Amino acid sequence: MATPLHITNPPLVCWNCHERTIGTHFCPGCGKLLQLPQGSDYFAMFELPRKLWIEMSALEQKFLQLSWKLHPDNFVGATEQERGISLQRSSELNDAYRTLRDPIARVEYLLAIEGTRKNGENKQQAPPELLEEVFELNESLDELREAKAEGSDTALLRHRLDEAEKNFEQKLSEVDGLLQSTAREWDAAIDASAEGAARKKIMAQLNDLLNRRSYIRNLVVNVQKELL
Amino acid sequence: MGKIVGIDLGTTNSLVAYVDAQTGEPKCIPGPSGSTLCPSIVSIDPDGSIIVGEPARRRLLTQPERSIYSVKRLMGRGPSDVQSELKLFPFRIDPASKNMIRVQLGDKVFTPPEISSFILRELKNWAESYFGETVDRAVITVPAYFNDAQRQATKDAGKLAGLEVLRLVNEPTAAALAYGLHEKPAAAGGKVAVYDLGGGTFDISVLKLISTGEGDIYQVLSTNGDTHLGGDDIDNLLQAFVHEQILQHDQIDFSPHGELAQELRKALIGIKHQLSETTTATLRFPLPNGDVFAREFTRGELEALIRPVVDRTMAPVKLALADAQLKPNGLDEVVLVGGTTRTPLIRRTVQEFFDRKPHTELNPDEVVALGAAVQANILDQGVKNMLLLDVTPLSLGIETYGGAVAKVIPRNSTIPASAQELYTTGVDNQTGIDIHVLQGERELAKDCRSLARFTLRVPPAPAGLPRIEVKFLIDANGILQVAAKDLRTSEQHTIEVQPSYGLNDTDIERMLEESIEYAEQDFAERQVIEARTEAESILIATAKALANSQAAQLPAAERQNVDASVVALREAMKGSDYKLIRQQIDELNRATEHLAELLMTTAVQTALEGKRLAEV
Repeated sequence: MATPLHITNPPLVCWNCHERTIGTHFCPGCGKLLQLPQGSDYFAMFELPRKLWIEMSALEQKFLQLSWKLHPDNFVGATEQERGISLQRSSELNDAYRTLRDPIARVEYLLAIEGTRKNGENKQQAPPELLEEVFELNESLDELREAKAEGSDTALLRHRLDEAEKNFEQKLSEVDGLLQSTAREWDAAIDASAEGAARKKIMAQLNDLLNRRSYIRNLVVNVQKELL
Repeated sequence: MGKIVGIDLGTTNSLVAYVDAQTGEPKCIPGPSGSTLCPSIVSIDPDGSIIVGEPARRRLLTQPERSIYSVKRLMGRGPSDVQSELKLFPFRIDPASKNMIRVQLGDKVFTPPEISSFILRELKNWAESYFGETVDRAVITVPAYFNDAQRQATKDAGKLAGLEVLRLVNEPTAAALAYGLHEKPAAAGGKVAVYDLGGGTFDISVLKLISTGEGDIYQVLSTNGDTHLGGDDIDNLLQAFVHEQILQHDQIDFSPHGELAQELRKALIGIKHQLSETTTATLRFPLPNGDVFAREFTRGELEALIRPVVDRTMAPVKLALADAQLKPNGLDEVVLVGGTTRTPLIRRTVQEFFDRKPHTELNPDEVVALGAAVQANILDQGVKNMLLLDVTPLSLGIETYGGAVAKVIPRNSTIPASAQELYTTGVDNQTGIDIHVLQGERELAKDCRSLARFTLRVPPAPAGLPRIEVKFLIDANGILQVAAKDLRTSEQHTIEVQPSYGLNDTDIERMLEESIEYAEQDFAERQVIEARTEAESILIATAKALANSQAAQLPAAERQNVDASVVALREAMKGSDYKLIRQQIDELNRATEHLAELLMTTAVQTALEGKRLAEV
């Protein structure tokens, strides 16, 4: 079961030979595996700018290349300290790859490190323009549950919910389209070294779209569950 | 440091394998009987000695209350989890079992990791006799779908057997490693599905094989399965079916746990195996009333009976493919693993589903152990031409308000994987925050597997001020580690995690102490016994040879030499230096070479006498 794990503050110098080491995986002085420097993030780990468009095959190549170096398999015979660092580094690498590979998780992560979004934030309020449709949908779901409980005919209700589901899936792909175009805006702003206010505005839009997406997705999932 | 081996700790059979340094090929190590399969059966003698494997199988019939099989089904589980198993398996659970199951064997009770450690120790002995060297480290395989508690229980078993467990490797992944050595399935980017149906567990894993400049990477994309689905279930169905027939036909109703039931089960497993080869098989089973229950089974009949079991494997297969974002025809290779996949119905079903002939070239019983040996070799030699990237089979979650679960590490994440969560207090001067860690895909905590509960200690402060970062980390074995840090003080918290099901460190310490009591002699001691036995037999042979009339032809100097060697060997046998005993055995062998020749010539002459030359 769970055993305590040591989190130590990443040093500015090599823990082994005390050489200055910033920005490398292995100490240039003694070759030992290093902890990730403080303030590093998933983008930096892959030597990427904080942009939202990522070339997936290059990301995978880099992931595999770093896996060779950092994986605990390489450190079975090493000291306990080195084994610990390898465990920490390879888990961070895997976490980073998992996050950056997924376009939605990538946006969430960017907003989190830019300070716009709290970790795990998912506003579950209905976007105002959807209120009416959501209300109808919930009503139909209730009716279906009742009909199921009574054992009465559900064909008509199922048909209605099918339609509603399609409608919301359509909205979901609209939101995804908007996310993509806003992500492009973000990348352009980074390229143009845009100032803080302009960036903040784009980030607020992205944050809004993420919340909207998460809300609609939940709706779709709920309908799918009832229709199963 | 001693040798390192790969071990497949199976529900029905266990195996041990190593990589031959000369050929680089993995090989299974045979036991005393010559077979590489060690039945996962343990029996405890009234005198306390532990019997494992084939000899224990016989005791399953003669002393069922002292014997146990399929203990893997109990690993890492709580008493309430196994109620359904108890109807089908003759496990005698100690009624006093609380979180940890204890099994009654005769007048003693054992935990499942202890019983598994007896099997591991037996395999360790096989390997040590084979190498003539100590074995102290191992890679042990587990079903890919094993949860944290089941993995930890396996690791504990290794420790109790005196093995340092360098890695737990998922069985289907191990199989892929073993196949990869023989024939690289597909070129770079090839996708492989491994369908692994063993005695008690089912796994499906989807892997991507990547060739890089540095070597081959085996990246698991997704895995799914059922840790309680396997050949055992087929046997249970067959047994229930025939019980019913005997009840109707002969009005004999025997307890499913008794001796008769075990004998019937054994006979039916034979029928099942036979029906994989032939289309009909006849059961002749003597009943207590003197009658014989005779019945012919057809393969079709068996297939109709076991179809539900085969069908149950297909849901995990579909989920694994969906998680890997693949269609059945999107795979380049399919590999069958586990003894149960010898069943023609399973081969057909898998072939139809994937529209591709599955690989069955390697012995399905041995392939997992062979893969474990490959991984053991990688870890031992630091072989840099192969890397295995596996995943966690189940999502890791934390209980939130209202009994819901917040997933922090999704299933099929490459391991090691981690997640950080920030915690604070809800009321002023709150001194503890309770954290409940779970594993599973369901939304409510009560439907997931409880891994651990612990309380974060917080220094008294106004509500919301403390900021404690908790790091959850799943290591390369798929086992959870937890650490916490107070972000205001950067102070490290030690977390005392009480496993929900399983052994804590104190339990393990105690068992390690107790295990000495049960343990067979250690390696050196066994070597001494073996060397003495061999010495005795050569001494007897020498005495016999010297008594032969032909021995008189031996020159006096040689005779003296033989006598001196005998004395030296007898002297060595008094001590416990097995190397010295072996040395003296060799010495005596050399001294008696001429004597043996003399006797041989005489023996040949005797044999030839009275025979014509043409007959020679």
